Amino acid sequence: MTRRIFEIRKLSLRNGRRFELEDFSISVEAGDSITILGECGSGIDALARVLTRVTGRGDQLHGIQFGDGDRKALARRIKPGARIAYLCGASGSPLNPSASVVAQLVRVAARGGSLASGKVELRAALERFSSAPSFESLDRKPQELKPVELAFALLATAAAQTPELLIADHAFDGLTPIAIAALARDLMNEQKRQGFALICLTRDLQTAVHLRGRMMVLRGGKIVEEGDFDKLASGQSHAYTRALFKSLPSRSQTPCARNNRSGDPLLQVQGLDLETRRRGDDRAPDGLSFKLRHGAALALVGDEGSGRGALVRAMLGLDPVTNGRVVFDQVDISLLSTQMKSRLRRRIAFISGSDDVLDPRMTLVETLDNLLHTQLRLPRDAVAASRDAALRRVGLASRSGRVATLSRFDKRRLQVARAIASAPVLAVIDEPLLGLDAYAQSIMLELFRDLRKHEAPALLVITADLRVAQAIADDVIVFKQGRLVERGPIAGIIRAPKDAETRRLLAAALPYAADEATQQTESATPEPATEPQEAAILDILRREYAVTESSG
Amino acid sequence: MSATSSPHALAATQAQLPRARMLGWIGLGAIAIIASLSEFVASAPAGMIGAGPVLQPPSPGFAFGTDALGRDMLSETLRALNVTVTSALPAAIVTLVFGSSFGFAAARLPAAMGALLRAVIGVFVSVPAFLLAIVITELSGRGWYCAAAGLSAAPLAFVRAYGRCRTLRLAPHVRFARLSGLTPMALFRRDLAYELHDALAPSAARALASVALIISIVSFFGFGATPPHDDLGSMIAAARQSYLHAYWTAAFPALALLSLVLFARLAAGGESGEQP
Repeated sequence: MTRRIFEIRKLSLRNGRRFELEDFSISVEAGDSITILGECGSGIDALARVLTRVTGRGDQLHGIQFGDGDRKALARRIKPGARIAYLCGASGSPLNPSASVVAQLVRVAARGGSLASGKVELRAALERFSSAPSFESLDRKPQELKPVELAFALLATAAAQTPELLIADHAFDGLTPIAIAALARDLMNEQKRQGFALICLTRDLQTAVHLRGRMMVLRGGKIVEEGDFDKLASGQSHAYTRALFKSLPSRSQTPCARNNRSGDPLLQVQGLDLETRRRGDDRAPDGLSFKLRHGAALALVGDEGSGRGALVRAMLGLDPVTNGRVVFDQVDISLLSTQMKSRLRRRIAFISGSDDVLDPRMTLVETLDNLLHTQLRLPRDAVAASRDAALRRVGLASRSGRVATLSRFDKRRLQVARAIASAPVLAVIDEPLLGLDAYAQSIMLELFRDLRKHEAPALLVITADLRVAQAIADDVIVFKQGRLVERGPIAGIIRAPKDAETRRLLAAALPYAADEATQQTESATPEPATEPQEAAILDILRREYAVTESSG
Repeated sequence: MSATSSPHALAATQAQLPRARMLGWIGLGAIAIIASLSEFVASAPAGMIGAGPVLQPPSPGFAFGTDALGRDMLSETLRALNVTVTSALPAAIVTLVFGSSFGFAAARLPAAMGALLRAVIGVFVSVPAFLLAIVITELSGRGWYCAAAGLSAAPLAFVRAYGRCRTLRLAPHVRFARLSGLTPMALFRRDLAYELHDALAPSAARALASVALIISIVSFFGFGATPPHDDLGSMIAAARQSYLHAYWTAAFPALALLSLVLFARLAAGGESGEQP
């Protein structure tokens, strides 16, 4: 009989008059793997505060905790009764930005003991993970490390503490699918090795897909469904869980309709060979040629350091081009002055997964007004109409206040509104789903499809996530370490990837391949292009985000 | 290692900041009203010797007591507060013009030039501001002690504004704005608008706190206000002989000065290291 590590029954957390968490019960035994899934506002942040024992002054805790043969009513904090290690995400880590990462992590790994033993344990843990950085390479500040390196360093620190229970609090946020897959694999291997129990709090269903085990779905502060992952995957009883699983991409998903416009291409790259400024491992692909037509969508897919970033900088005139040509709308950009290139970029919309591209001092309205009036020189009477229409389309019409007060999802939608309002010829979309929960991701993809349908700009998608490419792109080019490894229509690439790197990216982005066989046997004909999913998501948009249905 | 910081705790501490600022501005407003109505509120004419017994402690008849010449301390403190405030206001404007606005402009110079300018101004920051004010007063004449106080507080204001604007220029959203085709002039106009909107009031309040203190110290050492137009600093200096046995002759002017500086700093939002 396995040992019970931790049990709480009927846990409630109240802050003021509002219950953030109600009747939450969990029992954890040695070796258990539990994934708790919930979007923003579901109570998952409140649960994180309880489990990591950082409840605030206004938090009131109620419930019963079971220890070794006794039960205690909960007061301010839970009392673990077991050795717990905490694993936070690289993006939200509480590391001191001015100090060396390794120095801080050694202290944590030592757990109050000697630093020498902490060093030994941390070094040994790092060596166990194949994708982890070396001990010596961690002697840098946190911002000098890549997110995936920091994530593995934090995992090694948690593992070095030989915990009985490991609580992972949004540990996979902000990582690419390949990084998530590698981190999840090493976490599970370490769990098997040490036998600790694992509780993983996450907003992303993809993480649960990698971890499997037991799953609990939180919504509105309550558990709406729980059970073994594989059992839940084959059938869900709650509508919310059903919608979440439906939003999971599958390899048989029909891509969005190709825009078969003919005519001169918008962007042509011919024999590109860059003189790049090396940034870490970022090397540029050599001798590359491709075309992007008006209204078409091309995805540049590759992991960090694959060279896609350098390629895009060259295409937009930010880096010099030594051999080859880049022709944008019939103009060779190497012939343009800096000022002309800057003017050219006004016709391009940028949507980034990094929300600090928005000016935090401006309000939503000012963000769009500034773009329409100052950059695009629209007359003032036209600005208001365009701005209001764009905000309505993305469901931000009822929001106000400064950008600094917006949530990540709202900031991302504001970027899409900016793209809608500017009616660009080209939209450059860079990792648009980074850090969003499952629901928000599906809505973002829907907004991109809507943008493509109505404004019909050419899309250049830069991502490490083949899901994004599958959802909105026609064609894909796959990069690895500065080389083009595969290219072609997205449907063909996903159905039959030829290169090992493509297969690796596919496995990371679409691990849930079990549904392929199930879906194909269940329906004789393939489902129409995401219509039921579109309708469900638009319905959610209308209810929760007050988006009016797009006309046309 | 704690994994998360409570968003509620963060929101609660951030909510305290606007409340503190509001308290500061309300306090400054009250001081401004009291100072401007000092002639009406004061019970005794200006400088009236023998209004009451010499060195009487605070009592129902004389709320702040009397000084060594029998003058009503309440009336004298109110008038001195008036003088201090009316001296500090133009001095604060001098600080804003020669400090904050120059710092804002210098942040837009090429990096090397801006750094050199900042280094030169930094030398003056290392000199205590009241010493600088005394030197400038002696060079320019006693009548210019208010402007001298404003100029002596300007270097620190310059350094703050320069640092703030320089950090802003390196911010990701500014780089992105340039990348997406926003002209440098349009970016400058936008930054200026937000600087005026967001930073002007706190900078003005911070300048007011600094110059009020500098003016009072300069007067304390005899280089500023002179009788019969005593300000709070010269009042405190005049009560030197009676600090120990008649504390009220210095305590109430000091409290008035403290209140002015405290409310001004609250209105400014405190220093960056003091904010939660």
